[in-house]
Amino acid sequence: MKLRLYLVLALLPAVPLAQHRLDSLTGGFRAQEEVLYLWSGKQVRRLFPGFEALAADIYWLRTVQYFGGQHIFERGKRFDLLYPLIDITTTLDKRLEIAYHYGAIFLSEPPPMGAGNPQQGIAVLERGTKALPTVWRLSQDLGFFYFLYLHDAHKAADILDEASHIPGAPFWFRTLAADLLAKGGDRETSRRMWKQMYDQAEEGVIKSNAFIRLQILDALDQADRLTAMVQEFERRAGRRPRSLGELGALGVEPASRRDPAGLAFDYDSEKGQVTVSKESPLWRTDFQPRRTP
Amino acid sequence: MNRLIAVAANTFRETVRERVLYNLVFFAILMTLSGLLLGELSIRQDEKIIKDIGLAAMDIFGTLIAIFIGVGLVSKEIERRSLYPLLAKPLNRDELFLGKFVGLGFTLLVNLGTMALGLYLTLLLTGRRPEPRLLEAIYPIYLGLLLVTSLALLFSTLTSSTLAAVCTLALVVTGRFSDVIRNMKEVAPGAPTWLTEALYYGLPNFRNFDFKDSVAYGDPVPLGVLGFVTLYALAYIGLVLGLGLKVFRSRDF
Repeated sequence: MKLRLYLVLALLPAVPLAQHRLDSLTGGFRAQEEVLYLWSGKQVRRLFPGFEALAADIYWLRTVQYFGGQHIFERGKRFDLLYPLIDITTTLDKRLEIAYHYGAIFLSEPPPMGAGNPQQGIAVLERGTKALPTVWRLSQDLGFFYFLYLHDAHKAADILDEASHIPGAPFWFRTLAADLLAKGGDRETSRRMWKQMYDQAEEGVIKSNAFIRLQILDALDQADRLTAMVQEFERRAGRRPRSLGELGALGVEPASRRDPAGLAFDYDSEKGQVTVSKESPLWRTDFQPRRTP
Repeated sequence: MNRLIAVAANTFRETVRERVLYNLVFFAILMTLSGLLLGELSIRQDEKIIKDIGLAAMDIFGTLIAIFIGVGLVSKEIERRSLYPLLAKPLNRDELFLGKFVGLGFTLLVNLGTMALGLYLTLLLTGRRPEPRLLEAIYPIYLGLLLVTSLALLFSTLTSSTLAAVCTLALVVTGRFSDVIRNMKEVAPGAPTWLTEALYYGLPNFRNFDFKDSVAYGDPVPLGVLGFVTLYALAYIGLVLGLGLKVFRSRDF
């Protein structure tokens, strides 16, 4: 009897030992193979009569976990299931505003932050604005996304102008729409939109993403200012500066020769052009901010 | 009347001793409390998720309690032959049958109250204001549970407890698909209208008792609607209990 007990006790350390070995062999986190058995929201809806809202919550949690899992842990960062998961969630609960809002961001943001599919993100928002026509925030998102991701200033202006009639919509929708039409969408308009998204976002990945976008816009502005200083230097000295350090003579502080991420700006002395370094942590794959024409 | 109350009180005492009841209530409260964790993972949806899970737990586990305890109320008495000494007492069959229904109805009320308390506590723990408006969803759930109880009791008089549970569950699930039955013509254009209409109006429509979604979103449920839901429940329960009484009276024990 005692022998059996000792044998069983001897097995106890084997469990953490085996787990430790497994982790060291396969890595600390092993993303599970994600499978979606049902691809249609209508089919899933039929499975939960009377409990659609609960099912929507479950699917929304799965969407968030799937996005987070791919975003943080997966090297390949494939987001194949993201759109169907959001589609099922919003079919089960057409009033789940958060699923339209965050779902569209997850889909639209370029990799590695998101799926890099703004068309699908906009499709989600269009369904959201139809399902919840009195929620101005979704219309705001739709307008912003048309401008920021598809660079369609006219469409964005139309949507924001229409959204300005929704009760409770901010007064600046109309002025922003007018600016979009007048200027065709410049950096300042982008800044206003990202600032708005930054202010409205909860603490977390979406807010920090908006912050990075604002920093990039700041960096681009600063690079333009430095280029103007280079021209001023050339006008005064009759030659271009050999490095940005020479701009100190014009009162340019060393700190302003670095972008918000702390990396020095690139300077092309032949063209007299200052640009944000391609090595800057601010840049991410596929990010191409619009420049003032 | 006193005899009916005595049977109801006895049924209440008998049902609260059932182990299955405690298991189900335990899981219902566990499910409600799980909303605390799940809400954290949901991005700004914690309150809605807590309400959705809490109300769904009341509905699901309440239905299971109504079915699994309800089907045993009469059939077990018959199977254990404990019905005979009862019928030998100065107690008519109607009082026994209705007393069982009232007793289980009270048990369900106490359980639902406990689960509602769990939901309100969960909301309080997360710093939310416990809204009395949640009762606008809980009250129809209770009416639905009473209807399930009446169906379970009817089947309990007709057949064994296992078969009664299967029949009741089948009817409850079918009743939740009432919108599918109503729109059957869309998927089966050949289906005769009279058949779909008969099924739609004949089968218990459990969709009528579902206000969970509206209440979770803070929509008010009009009093008139609640009034007609109550009328529907009372009428249907009355019909089922009437049928059950007729069967129970006519059975030869």
